[in-house]
Amino acid sequence: MEDTLHSLMLGFSVALQPSNLWYAFLGCLVGTLVGVLPGIGPLSGISILLPITFGLNATQAVIMLAGIYYGSQYGGSTTSILMRIPGEASSVMTCIDGNAMAKKGRAGAALCIAAVGSWIAGTFGIIVLTIVAPPLATLALRFGPPEYTALLVLGLIFLAYMSSTSLVRTLLMACLGLFFGMIGIDNMTGHFRYSFDLPELGDGIGIVPVAVGLFGLGEILATPSKNVIGEVIRPKLRELLPSREEWRQSAWPIARGSVLGFLIGIIPGSAHIISSFLSYALEKKVSKHPEEFGKGAVAGVAGPESANNAASTGAFVPMLALGLPTGPITAVLIGALMVHGVNAGPQLITEHPDVFWGFVASMYVGNLMLLALNLPLVGIFVTVLRIPYAYLYPLIIMFCVIGVYEVSHSIVDVWIMLIMGMLGYALRKFGFDPAPLVLGLVIAPVFEQSLRQSLIMSNGNYMIFTQRPIAVMLLIVSAGLLLMSAISFALKRKDWRAKLAEVEAGEGSS
Amino acid sequence: MILRSDHVAGAAFAAFGLLIVALSGDLPFGRLAMPGAGFLPNLVAGLMILFGVLLVLRASQESAPLTDIDWNDLQHAAPVISITAAGIALYTRAGFIITMVAMMVALLVLVERRSIFRAGLYSLVVVLLAFGLFAKFLRSPLPLSPFGF
Repeated sequence: MEDTLHSLMLGFSVALQPSNLWYAFLGCLVGTLVGVLPGIGPLSGISILLPITFGLNATQAVIMLAGIYYGSQYGGSTTSILMRIPGEASSVMTCIDGNAMAKKGRAGAALCIAAVGSWIAGTFGIIVLTIVAPPLATLALRFGPPEYTALLVLGLIFLAYMSSTSLVRTLLMACLGLFFGMIGIDNMTGHFRYSFDLPELGDGIGIVPVAVGLFGLGEILATPSKNVIGEVIRPKLRELLPSREEWRQSAWPIARGSVLGFLIGIIPGSAHIISSFLSYALEKKVSKHPEEFGKGAVAGVAGPESANNAASTGAFVPMLALGLPTGPITAVLIGALMVHGVNAGPQLITEHPDVFWGFVASMYVGNLMLLALNLPLVGIFVTVLRIPYAYLYPLIIMFCVIGVYEVSHSIVDVWIMLIMGMLGYALRKFGFDPAPLVLGLVIAPVFEQSLRQSLIMSNGNYMIFTQRPIAVMLLIVSAGLLLMSAISFALKRKDWRAKLAEVEAGEGSS
Repeated sequence: MILRSDHVAGAAFAAFGLLIVALSGDLPFGRLAMPGAGFLPNLVAGLMILFGVLLVLRASQESAPLTDIDWNDLQHAAPVISITAAGIALYTRAGFIITMVAMMVALLVLVERRSIFRAGLYSLVVVLLAFGLFAKFLRSPLPLSPFGF
């Protein structure tokens, strides 16, 4: 514990340097704007802005990109409350009671509760991350190729299990991502794979064109401007403070949302989205007045908003300690670190303590910044929301093109982005979630290398995965999850995931 | 039999899996003790075919009829794709400023039916600001036109 505190002090000495503070502020501001604007999610925001960080060092880059991530969770609530349009997917549940509160003249109170809840949950998440990540990374240092193979298999199966679409669909997307990740030169034998004599494909398909195409351009293609219309409620500054009764009603939902969100955040899947849905369901279940939900219940804002912020912090635990992306956003962040020559994973704490602890400390500071930023600047965000989407999306397409081209100055990458945009659009039409594809793409090189190394180590004996205790434990959990899915499929029983998908679809269509 | 969206999607993925197998013909599969460059691609292709077939088999229970898919937004998506493709084709030839102004004006005028004057002014201002930010402030080289800007 003393070591952790000492290391955290080192982190604060890094995070509080003026340049790092500036990038944390910039990340939080841009993230809030990304969250506020409908049509741009945190993933597309991070992907589009990734090339801007190439001129920074690894610490500044990850501080800024993470600021965009958790800033977007804060910002998403503003659009939900004032327009009843979720700025991003995890704010869907806040729309219901947040906008109902706004219609009752309590928009300011709803925004304040969402901001304070987000700050408490975010800070709680960082404290747990500070305590949990270092010992987990120490444990992961014992991992060899078989353990890593088993861990990545578990990650994929967990993702498929947690997904609100079916297991088969998620695994199909992951397979497609794995295939894309195998394009280019094979690291172990030097063979060119599926590069069709294009030298640009020799290094493989980058994560940036795929992520920007699937989530940035794909989202724009699926969102005609005539569909993005909404009235903005402008809250008065003097109405920002909630009443004593509203504070009282929000205290326990914030506490429950923080714990629930963090726990779900650690698990692979779209944690920040799932956590807000589950938190809403939990609050409705424990409430003495469930009939108030949907009509402006304070708990319906406080719980989900706290949960999605805690989940976004929780997702950093496996990313930093194990190098395991739990979702597409952490996958892009891992990609960003790799661009700077830093590998996320157990070695991060020992080899780059300034990056790890600087990043952790910057999140304490960033969350405070967001609290200070969100409420006073609400007027500016309302003005931004009045920019017609018809003028906004051509600008986003321009940033997509710049962002992708600037990674390696390759026009082939920009064409890949366009193809991925069309693929993302088609996948949405057929009910596929493209997120596992990005995950598959990121883990493909590590997965292939560790699987092949394991087989070479064991002279082709698959039993190596059952002879190592950590690997066998991870594979048992994977098998258990597959079994649970198979049972609910065989019994045609609706489990919590199916119910969640129904709620999600219902809200999405409303 | 009603043709459902999962029939089409599953068949497409299974066909894509078969295509990967066909394209992997010249990649060495290796042995279990020494897997080659074609080992995992073939494994992944096999899984893709399996999951594609599963999707087709379960289509009647899980997916909506193909005709239920709403393609109304294609009227927006198709011109956006065409204009963006034209922009990408021109990007390294005509340079950043000319291409991006032309692309944004085309999107605003042809897709969004905005006035050409407003669209032109808006596009020029934001493209010049972006050029200033990337090329001058961040010193990140953007493609220049044959006219030198």
